[in-house]
Amino acid sequence: MDNPNFFGIRHLSPAGAYYLRCFLDIKQPELVLVEGPADFNDILKDITRKETKPPIAVLAYTKEVPVRTILYPFAEYSPEYQAILWCNERNARLRFIDLPSSTFLALPERCPLYAEGEENRTNIYMELDKICGDGGHETFWERVMEQAGSLEAYHTGAKNFGANLRSLTEGNGDNWAETVLREAYMRQQIKDAVNSGINPANIVVVTGSYHVEGLKNWQESNENFKGMPETETLHTLMPYSYYRLSTRSGYGAGNKAPAYYSLLWEGFKRNEPGYSSYSYFVKLAAYMRKTGNPVSAASVIEAVRLAGALAMLRNGSRPALCDLRDAAITCIGEGSFAAVSLGTADTEIGTVIGTLPDGVSRTSIQDDFYRQLNELKLEKYYSAVCQDIMLDLRENRRVKSEKAAFIDLHRSFFLHQLRVLNTSFATQQKTNQDNATWQEHWMLQWSPEAETVLVESALKGDTIAGAASFEMKERVENATSMGQIALVIEDACYCGMEKAAVYATTALQKMAVDTISVEDLAETAQRLSIIIQYGNIRKVNPMPLKPILSQLFYRACLVLESACICDDAASQIITSAIEKLNSTELAHDFLDTEEWIKVLQSIARHDNLNTKLSGFAAAILLERGNMDTESLHTEVSRRLSAGTPADLGAGWFEGLAMKNKYALIARLSLWESLNIYLTTLTDEEFKRALLFLRRAFAGFSAAEKDQIAENLGEILGLDGSQTSEAVNTVLDESSQEIIDSLGDFDFDF
Amino acid sequence: MEEQILRLPAEQLFQNEIDALIKAEKHPVPAGWNMSPQSVKTYICGGEVNGTKITPKYIGHERLVEIAISTLVTDRALLLTGEPGTAKSWLSEHLTAAINGCSTKVVQGTAGTTEEQIKYSWNYAMLVSKGPSIEAMLKSPVFNAMETGTIARVEEISRCASEVQDALISLLSEKRISVPELALEVPAQKGFSVIATANTRDKGVNEMSAALKRRFNIVILPAPANLESEMEIVNTRVSQLSMNLDLNASLPEEDVVEKVCTIFRELRNGETLDHKQKVKGTSGVLSTAEAISLLCNSMALAGSFGSGTITDTDLASALQGAVIKDEEKDNIAWKEYLENIMKKRGSEWSGLYMACKELSGE
Repeated sequence: MDNPNFFGIRHLSPAGAYYLRCFLDIKQPELVLVEGPADFNDILKDITRKETKPPIAVLAYTKEVPVRTILYPFAEYSPEYQAILWCNERNARLRFIDLPSSTFLALPERCPLYAEGEENRTNIYMELDKICGDGGHETFWERVMEQAGSLEAYHTGAKNFGANLRSLTEGNGDNWAETVLREAYMRQQIKDAVNSGINPANIVVVTGSYHVEGLKNWQESNENFKGMPETETLHTLMPYSYYRLSTRSGYGAGNKAPAYYSLLWEGFKRNEPGYSSYSYFVKLAAYMRKTGNPVSAASVIEAVRLAGALAMLRNGSRPALCDLRDAAITCIGEGSFAAVSLGTADTEIGTVIGTLPDGVSRTSIQDDFYRQLNELKLEKYYSAVCQDIMLDLRENRRVKSEKAAFIDLHRSFFLHQLRVLNTSFATQQKTNQDNATWQEHWMLQWSPEAETVLVESALKGDTIAGAASFEMKERVENATSMGQIALVIEDACYCGMEKAAVYATTALQKMAVDTISVEDLAETAQRLSIIIQYGNIRKVNPMPLKPILSQLFYRACLVLESACICDDAASQIITSAIEKLNSTELAHDFLDTEEWIKVLQSIARHDNLNTKLSGFAAAILLERGNMDTESLHTEVSRRLSAGTPADLGAGWFEGLAMKNKYALIARLSLWESLNIYLTTLTDEEFKRALLFLRRAFAGFSAAEKDQIAENLGEILGLDGSQTSEAVNTVLDESSQEIIDSLGDFDFDF
Repeated sequence: MEEQILRLPAEQLFQNEIDALIKAEKHPVPAGWNMSPQSVKTYICGGEVNGTKITPKYIGHERLVEIAISTLVTDRALLLTGEPGTAKSWLSEHLTAAINGCSTKVVQGTAGTTEEQIKYSWNYAMLVSKGPSIEAMLKSPVFNAMETGTIARVEEISRCASEVQDALISLLSEKRISVPELALEVPAQKGFSVIATANTRDKGVNEMSAALKRRFNIVILPAPANLESEMEIVNTRVSQLSMNLDLNASLPEEDVVEKVCTIFRELRNGETLDHKQKVKGTSGVLSTAEAISLLCNSMALAGSFGSGTITDTDLASALQGAVIKDEEKDNIAWKEYLENIMKKRGSEWSGLYMACKELSGE
């Protein structure tokens, strides 16, 4: 029996793609078998559609978590891709014959040929680099194979290359077992094809040149593949990018310079072998000029000539990429790589991304993504280049339709949903506005990684909103503190997803019942308060949030007083909690003001609490006008009466002085009371009080101290300006020493 | 007679290698060249032809040598730049020696170089007595190179005044020289080119104009990439030099070369070889060339006034001389290096450390 026609290739090889087409033209096969997962046959019709523009990739992923993926990228110059196109043009049949992705992903080790890790392969390639010298195996391959002058040369060259590579790795390496399995499967597929009645002479088998030797004995295949491990997988087509191709260099997965390889491909198509070398420099020069670095045409010509001379020195017929780059450095960059590095990156890697026709993406979430991009007029951000967008969430009154008026708001919802899903497509930047309410600043950049995350999100829901809501639900379920849930509520509002917000609110309510931490309650209350205050710009319905805020607030009122029994260190946290609760209460009229005042009064009045907090509560009451001058006086005299321990009295004053300083300064009688109190202290007590008072006055500005000095001057009968000078002077060394010694004071009672 | 010459030009020093290469030529030879570009590369980077060993002249960075040769193949002028002591002139001398068998068409660029030295001047006695004539004309090396289709060298081009540099522009772009006094136009023969060298440290002296730069392909020669290649360079050069100079001392031991190269590299790069410790740099460049001359000096010292082998004391005084250029600052940096790095290096270094310490001690 005849053998089928084997054609060994290197994945992503322009010469391979070109000569494969020549080969197919000569053989005119009925059936072409291509190395690629056998369950991918259904995507062939989408790959060949007119609107499909490579680079594209097939992504297979497991249906269950943890999600494992493998990726098969195709560039325009992929031999496999050209084989697919050829078969489509000639009505020949094409089939993938490698292990199905469901088996691939079930194997314990992913196949390094396609998957992320390249460790196993690297060793052999490092060895190859040593053998090849001159820029390593990539350059060797380019000089020998990509510049092959004829179909014959390529065909035999690739076969020999593969066979030699095989003899170096056969039987060793971690992935050898996998190779054996894959080749056995491919052999069986070939045999099946022949058994189905096709003359082997009418079959072309396209595989990596490495596998050609392994498939030769296809006739002996009689393996049974029933027992192979399997997992449930899905696969989808997705756009890919040259940048991503370049980062996964190595045998199968990518190549270092996709944009340059596409120039090689263009050269083949034009039948113009020198095309790649001059267009490389022309493109480079164009990029350099665009970015403000003048490059003369003369330099370009010199670079082309130098590259040719460099290739000749290596006995190459045409310059390889390393020759081109070195010539660019010498002639255009004046000897320094840094001068041309951006240009070479653009010329060698490029920013090309692929496109797919509408509806081809297999997961509905991708469909949803592209539909929304279109609907929200964000298509121009579908690019590998990072771009800014400023959103104004307010209604645009100059346009007619409601959709147009709120387009930025809907964009914001969409981008926030993507953010919640952790795709890298959109990242939010800080804006100048504090508490950003109506303005948002985003950076948008599409990348295959973003798309991959999106596809993985398909497990969470069919639409972006659906997946985001699932994600938020999970976050709520795993939340351990109210703060986390409050964040989810916030996110839900940013995403414009009321239901998720309500769900999270309910969860929050349940958690709030058991919370006794005032700090947590205050923090959460404040977050909710902001959402309710500014939510209308995002069309958030505040109704479901109001009851929970009331509840949280009420609970905070209940536990606040007992929280005030604490030491000085903890008092700072409580102070900020009180402050937050107070501002929340002031912002919303549906909260229980009466209860709040009652709590504050109680804290201000009771002697058994931290005196600083009592003082602070009094300060708030004073500020809110809930404490008249009369009761302030009473309170001051009571707190600062003789016999009260100095640190307690002064601590109280410190709390009182934390707010509305002007109100205090204006009340002369207050200072009188303080003065009388201080004179009653013994020296020892005075030292204690001094520490607290110093701290209390640290927050006052010079002008404020000035006014206090005037008050004191009045009381003590001194000249105001003299007193002011005394209180505003920076301490000299000896006084500082005395004060420092007070720090060692024993405060244990 | 020949033995009296202090320094033979490269083409005479390596005559047998050049002859062997020419004899074994297999590749096409460009017009005006003595050998093919491939052979030039073998001459520079070393190898073997028909049993004759070719000593490497420039070690490391083979790719740069290829770029330099290719530049000359495309009849472009070549500009070699880099820090002082990175073998710019050395490479340019050997390139011309291999390509033309003549490395002596040199214009040394200085602040006093005039346009005449680039083009031509006159024998004034003859000019006055006989009027302008070809006989009365004194051709510059560049003029000569154009007539013979060979390569002229311009050393330290950035030290020349800009009008002198500009004189080169028309020569390089028109590839012809005009002598208006004689109504003469001399076209350059095939094979004519110029190799210029410029020092990046002296950049500010006379910055090259963009117009001139554009006529050159620029290759930047870096310092040796690693300790091994630097040691190889130093070893090769020191043994060649000591033969020339008849120094009555044995060649430095491997560990002496290693120590000198290590110290130079560490002070040059501002960190220790293992990248773990920062080192304060010195004001001098501490190039490979300087390491070579340092070792030769030490050999001369040891040969004339010492035991014939380089001792730690010889090395210490040579090192101190090389490192400390700008008194105060370098002195501090050197002392810090001695205390922080060298002292902690263990017994192998302790002899050198003690000697250096003794010298630098007040």
